[in-house]
Amino acid sequence: MVSKVLVANRGEIACRILRACSEAGLASVAVYAENDTTSLFVELADESVMLHGDTIAETYLDQHQILAVAAETGADAIHPGFGFLSERADFARAVTAAGIQWVGPSANAIEKMGDKMTARITMRDAGVPVIPGEEIESIDEDEALAAIQQASTRVGYPLLLKASSGGGGKGMRAVEHPDELLDAARSARREALAAFGDGRVYLERLLTGSKHVEIQVLADRHGRTIHLGERECSVQRRHQKVFEEAPCATMTEEIRAAMGKAAVAAAMAVNYEGAGTVEFLLAPNGEFFFLEMNTRIQVEHPVTELVTGVDIVREQLRIAAGEPMSCGELQIRGHAIEVRLYAEDASNNFLPAIGPLAVFIPPEGPGIRLDTGVRQGDEVTPNYDPMLAKLIVWAPSREEALQRMRRSLDEFVVLGTTTNLRFLRELCDVSDVIEGTTDTTMIDRLWPQGWTPSVPLHIEDAALMAAAVGESAGLHRLTTSSPNGSDGPSGPVSPFATLNRRYP
Amino acid sequence: MHHQFNSPDGPVDVTVTKQGDEWILGEHKAVRERDGRLKIHLANGESGFATVAKVADHWWVHFSGHTFNFERIEPGATQGGNDGGLTAPMPGKVLDVLVEVGQSVETGQTLMILEAMKMEHRILAAASGTVTDVYFSAGEQVQQGSALLAMTEHED
Repeated sequence: MVSKVLVANRGEIACRILRACSEAGLASVAVYAENDTTSLFVELADESVMLHGDTIAETYLDQHQILAVAAETGADAIHPGFGFLSERADFARAVTAAGIQWVGPSANAIEKMGDKMTARITMRDAGVPVIPGEEIESIDEDEALAAIQQASTRVGYPLLLKASSGGGGKGMRAVEHPDELLDAARSARREALAAFGDGRVYLERLLTGSKHVEIQVLADRHGRTIHLGERECSVQRRHQKVFEEAPCATMTEEIRAAMGKAAVAAAMAVNYEGAGTVEFLLAPNGEFFFLEMNTRIQVEHPVTELVTGVDIVREQLRIAAGEPMSCGELQIRGHAIEVRLYAEDASNNFLPAIGPLAVFIPPEGPGIRLDTGVRQGDEVTPNYDPMLAKLIVWAPSREEALQRMRRSLDEFVVLGTTTNLRFLRELCDVSDVIEGTTDTTMIDRLWPQGWTPSVPLHIEDAALMAAAVGESAGLHRLTTSSPNGSDGPSGPVSPFATLNRRYP
Repeated sequence: MHHQFNSPDGPVDVTVTKQGDEWILGEHKAVRERDGRLKIHLANGESGFATVAKVADHWWVHFSGHTFNFERIEPGATQGGNDGGLTAPMPGKVLDVLVEVGQSVETGQTLMILEAMKMEHRILAAASGTVTDVYFSAGEQVQQGSALLAMTEHED
């Protein structure tokens, strides 16, 4: 039984889970750091408890504090979302030991799949091909660097350095030549240590020209393990996905069946429970290789939800409560695309940006879904990941989904903070995207010197005119322009005075 | 009315005039809507709505799927000099300082490593030269725009 869910996360995914709890009739608890006091997810929860501490390690990563809040509030389940503690086996174990239901797979399954070496061995035993790669176990910096150098000669170049216990592109470096290795290794280890508290890295051959294709799986305690088809997430910048879709444009029934079978075998090999994702690299010749398994809900889960009609988070809650999953025979219907709206300057090497969301007007209309943790008036700070929202569209065909995405991105208005909106919009016009022939190196290949927007002169003229009219007409006094509202409509206005004037 | 803005291509002078409800710039026209947006009629026959907001000295404009950010140059203000890019692009923490005062550096050499939003950013030398000052050490917090180092460029 599950009746009250503590969400050990923040932002967009916390909102997604808290809304699912509300729909499922479950009580919910949010935990938040002080700098998240006014964030959207805090108000979506039935109860919210502030975590003490300043850093992420002292708040969203503080297992003891979060368990104490669960005990205080009587939460009988903890949903970790993604990132933070979601793939920490020790936390899953501590939650279970405290008599609380962990919304996710067993600590044992997290350990087996989270450890990239064990995952590879498990997959090889299940008959799934894996990419050449090696784990570096050494903790000591000098020993680790020496081991990395030795391993690199066996793995071969170009290679990829990845944080052993990570994801989201943090602690990840592509290395083309041996003389770049040491610098890249030092920096990858440092970033991994800061983000995950674990500096161990993993070396793997970089397969160019491949697609990143992943299979969503669901498993319950009633003996059912199924896959929900694939997602393609090849379009990445700095090893972070920005454009994801389902189904994969070049997928065949044969490859889908083979990949799906491999993913289900992977899940069953570790007695998997709940929602998980098995990632593969799909080579141009149709060969595929196991990359890793993510033992948690994935950022891009909505595209699968839209084409299968399955509410994956709701199924997670159902499975955690010991019920059988509710979905029956699955069918893939239409096409879904997700883009990630980041506060970043796409024209300056995707550098994160900060500022107020003075205006935040998402697109509306048929086939559009927006998953976000922010609203107009919020401040984008350097404290957390710069992802502001996920814009997801569904349409009967891939071509129509792309048309709908273009229209949606044109309608989306975000002022006050630099975002990648225009970059995402231009992506929709790239021939590889239109043809569906995207691969993981596309962005670097298309814009080797970095991306710059192409702005028609008359559009820039119109914008300059708008700014000049805005200044001349004093429009800044009519629009939201500062986070504290000091430039808002001149001070508090009594509604009675207004009534007085309008109805004398 | 005359205004000066900083655009990506440098300072731009914009003079708009008002005739009745219409604002005019050359052959382009704009009319203010009740909700604060502007209906724009371009000389080429295209039209659309612009959404604007002012944050500090910056005018943000959304028009036709494009977003712009123009800094308004206050009348009489002077422009800041170019500091060679040795300033913090983001608030964050200094992870590592790879050079010391007096050291010669090559173009593209990493001088300092910052961490912001859990990602690392390298501060690179824009030209070859000599480091004359280092203002922060590892572990220190920096504000956006803070000068991080100073260097003199070598003459080639």
